[in-house]
Amino acid sequence: MRKTLTVAWREFRDTAMTKAFVFGAIVMPILTIGLFIIVIPLLETEDEPLDGVVAVYAPEDVVNELQLLFTDSKSPLQEQLEKLPDFVTQDAMVHSFLSESPTPTITVERIDESTADEVKPLVLDGSYLAYINTPDSLVQSVDSDEELTVFIPNDFAIDHTNFVTRVSENAIVNARLKRQGHDPDSVREMLKRPNAITMRVQEDGELATDNEIARTLLPIAFVMLLWIATFTSGNYLLTTTIEEKSNKVIEVLLSAISPMQLLGGKIIGQAGVSAVILCMYGSAAVVGLITFAMMDIVTFSQLGLFLVYFVMGYFMIATMMVAVGSAVSELSDAQSLMGPMMLLFLVPIMLWPIITEHPQGSVAMTTSYIPPLIPFIMMIRITSATEPIMAWEILTSITVGYIAVICMVWICARIFRIGILIQGKPPNILQLAKWIRQG
Amino acid sequence: MTLAIELQQVTKSFGETKAVQQLNLEIPRGSLCGFLGPNGAGKSTTIRMIMSIIHADSGSINVLGTNALAAKDRIGYLPEERGVYRKMKVGRFIEYIAHLKGMRGSSLRNTIDQWLERIELPNVRNKKCEELSKGMQQKIQFLAAVIHEPELIILDEPFTGLDPVNTQLIGGIVHELHQAGKTILFSTHVLPQAEEICDRIIMVDNGVKVIDDQIDAVREEFDPNIVQVTPVDANVDFLQFDGISKQGTANKDGEINLYLDENACQTVIVSEIASSIALLGIQIMQPTLTDIFIHQIATNEGDEAAEITREQLTNA
Repeated sequence: MRKTLTVAWREFRDTAMTKAFVFGAIVMPILTIGLFIIVIPLLETEDEPLDGVVAVYAPEDVVNELQLLFTDSKSPLQEQLEKLPDFVTQDAMVHSFLSESPTPTITVERIDESTADEVKPLVLDGSYLAYINTPDSLVQSVDSDEELTVFIPNDFAIDHTNFVTRVSENAIVNARLKRQGHDPDSVREMLKRPNAITMRVQEDGELATDNEIARTLLPIAFVMLLWIATFTSGNYLLTTTIEEKSNKVIEVLLSAISPMQLLGGKIIGQAGVSAVILCMYGSAAVVGLITFAMMDIVTFSQLGLFLVYFVMGYFMIATMMVAVGSAVSELSDAQSLMGPMMLLFLVPIMLWPIITEHPQGSVAMTTSYIPPLIPFIMMIRITSATEPIMAWEILTSITVGYIAVICMVWICARIFRIGILIQGKPPNILQLAKWIRQG
Repeated sequence: MTLAIELQQVTKSFGETKAVQQLNLEIPRGSLCGFLGPNGAGKSTTIRMIMSIIHADSGSINVLGTNALAAKDRIGYLPEERGVYRKMKVGRFIEYIAHLKGMRGSSLRNTIDQWLERIELPNVRNKKCEELSKGMQQKIQFLAAVIHEPELIILDEPFTGLDPVNTQLIGGIVHELHQAGKTILFSTHVLPQAEEICDRIIMVDNGVKVIDDQIDAVREEFDPNIVQVTPVDANVDFLQFDGISKQGTANKDGEINLYLDENACQTVIVSEIASSIALLGIQIMQPTLTDIFIHQIATNEGDEAAEITREQLTNA
């Protein structure tokens, strides 16, 4: 066991203690965490409030509406943030930005159409923030052929452009409503759609609220986390095995340890790498959930089951990768064997929308017991189901999954034992089958 | 006599190719044994089976009283296929292999430094393996094979790729290890080197053992029964002496080979010639390993194969 652990430590150290790994698996999640914390202040510093005069050629009522809307308006950032769901806007940090964000100070100056050509150079040199041209026919009829035109300087920010055009459009709508004798604010209030709260009636008669966001985000978040943690270390296993084969160090190793000790050490070492990746990206996810006050959408049972399926998924992918790595001599040869394998692991991603929609459906039920797919499909089901997945289903999937892991380790060991010493052309399926029989 | 390695009726095939056939081998503890044979003779396959890296199809292999898997920490092995972790530092590489061989403790680093001095690479500890030349990497691998002071050392072509100075250096260390009581088995194509340090040779050809004996006994068995003379007068007729069946032509140094009758006594003839003819030199010819090797190839595969092998050995 000591030799196995020596191999494991080397595998971990040479993978996880390199600059590339530190950047990819540690710095990136830390940057992601940092992004949650600093993205909004950064956005804020980028967003200079609009301050100046807007020249307008328009009917008087439109000019008045423009002045009103520009005076009451908020910064583009505030407008963007207010569009976010309530759970975001209620977050303390976001809320503080909403209240503290500087508002634009814009004055509207009405001009004659005859002076419009003279105004355009003034827009260009910054004397006017913008020039808005609104034909009266646009207010009179929605079928008008004429167009609302907004002239802005070439370097006008996209947010500011959107802001000015939106205010101009709203001013025309308000003027239209007022000409018809309606109060625009009342009409807008009436047009607001009520939010329906879905209450799911449980089998025991209890009511449960339907968390749409959790049902949509959680499955993909868990699957991505599983995917990143298992495939990154699986890929390292593939490349280190090929490297040991191609640089001929394998025979030196096999003179000191058995193939099984080498295989065990490599898998354990990369399991450590996988755990580090999981911790780093998992932490980033947790910080994200705390930032958006969404910690309640994840339950402890989901986390516990995630760990069970993570270990299962890791061993499935690790054994496949190490078997491929031991069977080939060059990384390019591995591509042909990896292709079908990767397609298999893309199935859960392709089925994700169907399974989240019908977690108890026949597709979900069937794929839950196909070994390489089990960890991914089950995590999608567990996190998207409105009714908890039956305990027997979870237990069966775990049992089938771990029996498959044992079989895969056995097959992988037999391929590894023979393949690791063979150089040259990669084997075909028949040769692999022969190795499994002989190994 | 206790045995370090014992093979009984060992056979190994790769598909249709029979790499090793019914091989019996006994290598006594404390011997320094050369394992010789032409390319593809089955030497590396046999060594790999001894190391339990590959398994025999049939037969039994006993190493240090058990199997190689159980005795790996007591065996040092330098494989024919050289390999190091290219990005790993030399010190760490040796340390890693030493750990795998069961070495622990604070003295390991000192041991590594001492060995690096001994193989004349004192300043490479913190260099990456890829920064070393091929010959240097080979010496590092040799060090990794012997650092744990194994009882049995198996070296597969240890001198291939080394310059004469380093061949001498490694040969000297091998000799010292043998003096210290280690059992050493090494395969080589550098026959003069094997001849210089081995006390026993095993020769295989086409997976079959053809020679297995003490080197003196082998020389006796393959004695060519030739006396070489360097006469002052190159025109002397040596066939006048009894027991000489054929006289060769003089080479550029004036040396002439005299082929003796099968039952002739070499020492009697030498004393008769020495007392009758004015000579610059006279010696009883000893067969070299190269001669024996070529003779065996010629016996098994014909003269053409023997000639090709002779050229390969000359180039090596």
